[in-house]
Amino acid sequence: MKLLKLLAWAVALTVAVVVGYVVFFAGIEAALRWYFLAVNFTASKVPNFAQSLRLGAEITIKITVISSVTGLFLGLFAGIARLSRNPLFRWPAQFYVWVIRGTPLLVQILFAYNALPFLLEPAWKYLQPLGVPPIQDVLTPYWASFIALSVNVGAYNAEVIRAGIQAIAKGQWEAAMSLGMRPVQVMRYIIVPQAIKIVVPPLVNNVIALLKDSSLASVITLLELVHQAQRIISITFRPVEVYVAVAAIYLILTTVLTFFTDWLEREMARRGAAT
Amino acid sequence: MKRILWLATLVLALGSLGMAQKFRTFPEIKQSGKILIGTEGAFPPFNFFDDQNQLKGFDIDIGNAIAKQLGLEPEWKAHAWDTMLIALNQGRFDFVIASHTITAERAKAVDFSKPYYCTGNVIVSKPGGPQTPEELKGKVIGAQLGTTFEEFAKQFDPKELKTYQTNPDAVQDLMLGRIDAWITDQFTAIEAIRSRDLNLQVSGLLNKEEIGMAVAKGNSLLLAALNQALDEIQANGVYEQISMKWFGKDIRCK
Repeated sequence: MKLLKLLAWAVALTVAVVVGYVVFFAGIEAALRWYFLAVNFTASKVPNFAQSLRLGAEITIKITVISSVTGLFLGLFAGIARLSRNPLFRWPAQFYVWVIRGTPLLVQILFAYNALPFLLEPAWKYLQPLGVPPIQDVLTPYWASFIALSVNVGAYNAEVIRAGIQAIAKGQWEAAMSLGMRPVQVMRYIIVPQAIKIVVPPLVNNVIALLKDSSLASVITLLELVHQAQRIISITFRPVEVYVAVAAIYLILTTVLTFFTDWLEREMARRGAAT
Repeated sequence: MKRILWLATLVLALGSLGMAQKFRTFPEIKQSGKILIGTEGAFPPFNFFDDQNQLKGFDIDIGNAIAKQLGLEPEWKAHAWDTMLIALNQGRFDFVIASHTITAERAKAVDFSKPYYCTGNVIVSKPGGPQTPEELKGKVIGAQLGTTFEEFAKQFDPKELKTYQTNPDAVQDLMLGRIDAWITDQFTAIEAIRSRDLNLQVSGLLNKEEIGMAVAKGNSLLLAALNQALDEIQANGVYEQISMKWFGKDIRCK
């Protein structure tokens, strides 16, 4: 019976999210249509412009969400690996964090889209007979951006998680080990639950930053919000009105994201209060 | 809600202040002795940076010739393509010579000179790829953002239209197979293939475009001076010399 209740709850949540998403973006498109008419854009073109910016905003949110989730796991593994006593784990993780934090995100995005195909080409020849699609169908602007953004946020997350784990008093480790727990168990039952409270705010910060960093993917032709805006500006020659609209949409998106993460932080404080 | 509306009005009001004309008139330019010319720098053979990082090209030579005809020293500024005419209206340059096609939409925002050459669009693709408008249906087309090539490509009902910040980006994706066809200027296509010895095919001319220099809206004295200087170099052989150098033929509008 409890399983059924959980399933029902999961279905209800999914439906709520989907409906909320559709309503939210329909609202944004309607607001854009009102706004463009109010600033005197050609009436016949306004629905098209509003739809383009909405589609751009949807791509921005989608790529932010999938890159954040992936970046979270990457950061978790890399952060913990950074603290490993085994150099086979520690050195690759340190190298990853060093390279990604030391190079600009724009360079990483351009690299993922323009350089990776050349680097992977020799290996790809062997994969193609197995039915893998050609590299240009895999490394599309969307997936190249995903790779660059998730790898990028993963490196920053790794440092946040590392710091969070190290912030837990050594005494906790010693006490747990003296009880006979193995390191993996200590991590899972003692350290990580306490570290979560510490790392959630900075991790949230990284997600908000990622939402805005996704705008850099416009240079590799991803039709996210900024690229759509560029197209509209080149047709209308009205940069002020269009950039104001785009900035407002980013502000709305980051604010909505902040509502969710504020809720998350409150939940964490409410549940995991035992320290 | 009221406060947000008030704030939005303020922003728009400030924005429209920025739309006020700030360009230099011809007398002001003549007095300073220098003329600021805007171009892109990523559109060979018309405007591009050579391997010594110097601006070169047909547009550059014509621009220099016109400045010389006006008795002014040219100072060149390279700028991103898709916002160049906006920058022109902000007074960042006195005039722009960057192979802009004269269109009704653009003529609402800036003033164009008489055409300084005529050309047309072509479809570029790998051997076996689309070469006619009919073959473009359902294909992935690439074109530079904010160009007449982009506008032109939309009418062919492509599966997807990818817009690039510069033309070389589009060529790269064409070679990688990310796009099936690249719409661009005939001379640019020929130059791209020649300079990197690419295995691509170029279609015949699809349309006729008139290419003009642009000045900020209302900068009429400068416009008149540019038109006169253009007439003079087309009459005295300087234009023909430059055109022969780059194309082996005279590309002015007949």
